[in-house]
Amino acid sequence: MGVLHRQRWCGATGLAVPLLSLASPAFLKIAGVAPSWAVLWLLPWALVDGPGSGAVAGAALGMVLDGLHVGDASQVPVLTLLGWWWGRIGRRGVPIERSFSLGLLALLGTVLLGLSVMLQLYWQGALPLPLAGWHTLAAQSLITALLAPLVCSLLLLRWREVVGPRR
Amino acid sequence: MTGRWFRVPTLHKIAAAWPWWLLVAALLGVRLSNGAFVVDAYALLSRPFWPGSAQSEWLRSGQRLADQARLSELERDNQRLRQLLQLDRAGQAMVSAPVIAREPAGWWHQLELGKGSLDGVAAGDPVLAPGGLLGRVASVTPTTARVLLLTDGSSRIGVWVGRTQQHALLQGLGTPRPRLVFLEKDPGVRPGDVVTTSPASTLLPPNLTIGVVQSLNEQAVPAPEGLVQLSAPVDAVDWVQVVTR
Repeated sequence: MGVLHRQRWCGATGLAVPLLSLASPAFLKIAGVAPSWAVLWLLPWALVDGPGSGAVAGAALGMVLDGLHVGDASQVPVLTLLGWWWGRIGRRGVPIERSFSLGLLALLGTVLLGLSVMLQLYWQGALPLPLAGWHTLAAQSLITALLAPLVCSLLLLRWREVVGPRR
Repeated sequence: MTGRWFRVPTLHKIAAAWPWWLLVAALLGVRLSNGAFVVDAYALLSRPFWPGSAQSEWLRSGQRLADQARLSELERDNQRLRQLLQLDRAGQAMVSAPVIAREPAGWWHQLELGKGSLDGVAAGDPVLAPGGLLGRVASVTPTTARVLLLTDGSSRIGVWVGRTQQHALLQGLGTPRPRLVFLEKDPGVRPGDVVTTSPASTLLPPNLTIGVVQSLNEQAVPAPEGLVQLSAPVDAVDWVQVVTR
């Protein structure tokens, strides 16, 4: 586990995820589909704070977001997995800072998250038209990947300052 | 004196009175044509003074008022008859609720309302907007309620096509237009037909407008299917009405 989670106000920024999911600003949508705010917050968090903290943050976010939606589909498993995976990437390789890398990671994460939700909805019979699911998946992945370089870069910069020199 | 009365006028005198004969012929023409020339002349002369659009608007407004009054009467009558038939839920009331969050597209199609169980809202309550039915309450907290929209993939309600008197199932697809699944092979429905809640429904208020049949696939198996354009604008509505028990 890293040290970022010990800074209370840093963890408190996670509250922005459910709030933004509820507020769902119309100008940040593509074809009516909002970005995955959980991915946009979790990616820099996990990159800075490591796999353990990333997995816990992913699970916590997933539980909150599951409570905000109708139905039984859960985002917890994939968000936990993404938190752990991005934490490992942040610990092992060179620091990820380039816009393209952040966008690509966010795109992959949103696709994985979307695919898991789509499969769950499909198995539960809540997605009678798979084409609608593909449309949502494509739109959400695109808008999340486009926003990631902006949002994730700012959070990364701030949180790396908080953590201090790279350990 | 009397001899003069019965004296036959000469032809010359009759011919000399031709203007009078002409006048009589004209009057006869007017009479036989039901006053055609006179009315036409009057119309021509009085055209600048004809009632303008303002007056026709007054008339339309009066007509609307009369229609609304008649509609209210019919609704009251209908409600009384339904209560006699025990088709209505007892003691239902309307609660106005603000829309505090909306997600009409994406994985879940839902609304969050700013009224909850403290205001009498309960799971299963129908939610109405100007234009018709939006969906049903899926869950409540003391101060909020979550509405499952008709467009959500897990939404399914029984509906009624009034023109053909057919029951059907309205199934959300996760797209803006839900699917109408008919129960019979030949429903006789065509695009443009209005879809409402069933008049026999005990879960939803009867005869509420839901939308209009937009397209029809008569080749679908096992029964024809259609797509419905919903009439309530979910993107624009800020306040809704919840029908509580």
